[in-house]
Amino acid sequence: MLTLLGKITADCFTASYALALVLELLYLFRPRPVVRACALVLGGAGLLAHTLFVAVNPMPLETAYGSLIFLAWVLAMFYLYGSLHHRRVAWGLFVLPLVLGLVLLARLFHGDPGPRAETVSWELFTLLQGRHFWPALHGLLLLLAAIGISVGFVASVMYLAQVRRLRQKTLPGHGVKLLSLERLETMNRRAIILAFPMLTAGLLVGLVLLLKTDEQATGWVRILSVVGLWVVFAILLYLRYRAHARGRRVALLTIVAFALLLFSLISVHPFAQGVVR
Amino acid sequence: MMLLLAVGCSSHNTSVAVRERLAFGPDRLPLALDELGSRYGCEAVILSTCNRVELYLARTDAQVAPDVDLIAEFLAEFHRLPAEEVAPHLYHHRNADAVRHLFRVTASLDSMLIGEGQIAGQVKRAYELAMAHAAAGRTLHQLFQHAQKAAKRVRTETGIARGHVSVSSTAVDYVRQVFERFDDKTVLVIGAGKMGELTLKHLKQLKPKRILVANRSPEKAEAVAQGCGGRAVPWERLDEALAGADIVLSTTGAPEPIVTRARWEQILPRRTGGPVVILDIAVPRDFDAAIHDGDRTCLFNIDDLKRLREQTLRDRAKHVAPAEAIIEQEQRRFLGEWARQRNGPVIARLTQDFEAKRQAVVAQLLGRLNGKLTDADRKYLEGAFRLLQNQFLHGPISALAEEPHEGGRHTLPEALRKLFRLEE
Repeated sequence: MLTLLGKITADCFTASYALALVLELLYLFRPRPVVRACALVLGGAGLLAHTLFVAVNPMPLETAYGSLIFLAWVLAMFYLYGSLHHRRVAWGLFVLPLVLGLVLLARLFHGDPGPRAETVSWELFTLLQGRHFWPALHGLLLLLAAIGISVGFVASVMYLAQVRRLRQKTLPGHGVKLLSLERLETMNRRAIILAFPMLTAGLLVGLVLLLKTDEQATGWVRILSVVGLWVVFAILLYLRYRAHARGRRVALLTIVAFALLLFSLISVHPFAQGVVR
Repeated sequence: MMLLLAVGCSSHNTSVAVRERLAFGPDRLPLALDELGSRYGCEAVILSTCNRVELYLARTDAQVAPDVDLIAEFLAEFHRLPAEEVAPHLYHHRNADAVRHLFRVTASLDSMLIGEGQIAGQVKRAYELAMAHAAAGRTLHQLFQHAQKAAKRVRTETGIARGHVSVSSTAVDYVRQVFERFDDKTVLVIGAGKMGELTLKHLKQLKPKRILVANRSPEKAEAVAQGCGGRAVPWERLDEALAGADIVLSTTGAPEPIVTRARWEQILPRRTGGPVVILDIAVPRDFDAAIHDGDRTCLFNIDDLKRLREQTLRDRAKHVAPAEAIIEQEQRRFLGEWARQRNGPVIARLTQDFEAKRQAVVAQLLGRLNGKLTDADRKYLEGAFRLLQNQFLHGPISALAEEPHEGGRHTLPEALRKLFRLEE
């Protein structure tokens, strides 16, 4: 059985997600329930393969590959939940490209073992063992923050699409069906509120770890990008709650935050570091 | 023989002036139903709406349907109009056509706005009133029940009722693109136009937190506020009200825009809430169109709302053919059921008669061949005669079941030919 599960490769779920996305696009032009149902089945199959892949191949979360694959897995669950919960909304059209993008980005770094010396594998028992606890907590907090930022990103992109529809006065019920502005704004707000404490705590744990160890593998580029991300988040929260700036501006800033997140996730890669330097 | 007649006029063939004169008010409808029953001995349902006046009449105990000219005379007499003024405006449908017509009317395929939802309720109320006055009997009961069933199928199986067509309900469609919940929202009504009342009625169904009413005339503002359970705000404090409103419904008769772009830009910084949806259904417009940005300010005017209505109607038109197919299917089903019920006793008598004759012949034959047949031979013989009887009766029974489709005006030789399939 384990041998059989071991045969599941990233190709399986990448192909499933890609086909699901193609069907979601097709649904735009041919809105037949069967098309949407097929997309859901393919997306679900992709998620199943993805879950088995993550379960059978524990991967180091400190590497770009591990963290991106894991983040994509969480967002794939978000896709399936949203597609079932908001059946009328073009949910997959916005979430699936993100899932696929993350998987493809991860595969770009495939073969990069990451900082093996201090690798923290995604295993529950390992997490609870003393030596690995703080690095694991650091990784976990940043990943939870990454999930929040990714959800905020999806909400922001949908928000901008809805603003565009409203600006052009597209008829309700025509074209891409989206959630209301209010709902998307709420989704974005909640994602940011959840992500910020995680990011702050993760950053603090990371700083303590950095001071305690003379670790070369954790590049400065990554530290700076995470700090930059935190600053963007602080600005986001300030704009939302103090300056009462909402809507488009906040959505755009969330997208910037997501770009910084991606940068910080891949910045441990030697190639990326080389480019930045 | 089905004796059903639908007589009336609608917005398709008459002006509102004619329909007004032929309409039955709620106070006189019972009287008309009684008159139809007592004069012509028929079941009756009267459908009287602003778009149509139709009488559905059925007879089960006579050989001829109520006469169209007599019904025209009745209408003229009842409304005290010259008969020659009434008759030219009336159309009529008999039997199977009348069934189809009622089904189409109930499914709103015959309405001015195809797919509108009101007519099904109006048909139901007309039927219930007739039932309450014992004017509708078994035939019309079955017919109107089936009409509701057919209309429901059309609504659920096609997209004929999808979307909104009234300006007031399309306004709500736009509002729903911006807001998810309404129990924390403030609706500001500016002006007191008739169209505003209808739109406000739809907005009120969303159960907003509060409704504010601003009008140049404090008395009018107070009257509208009382009517909708809202609160009047002085006209001088309009900017303040606009800064705190989530949904603005504007319907003044002002010749110039009351909120220009410059004025709105002064109001915007004072707003602390989310986006605002402005429904400007006034003509001329009350808000400068330039303030619309689709993000913080979503402005929809009467042209936008009408555009949505036209698109909805175009979309609905695509569903007319499938809806007509359902109507035809339901018409056939109704006529089949009705024929089976109506001709059931005749069919039963015919079957019993043939059954008795068959049994007598078989008994006689078996008596003669007594002792020469095995049990298997006896069973085979009985089965062969039963098969012969069934094949013999198949033609007449089918003809009886199909009879109402043809309109029910057969002479005896025609009926015999049809009953025994002589021409085939």
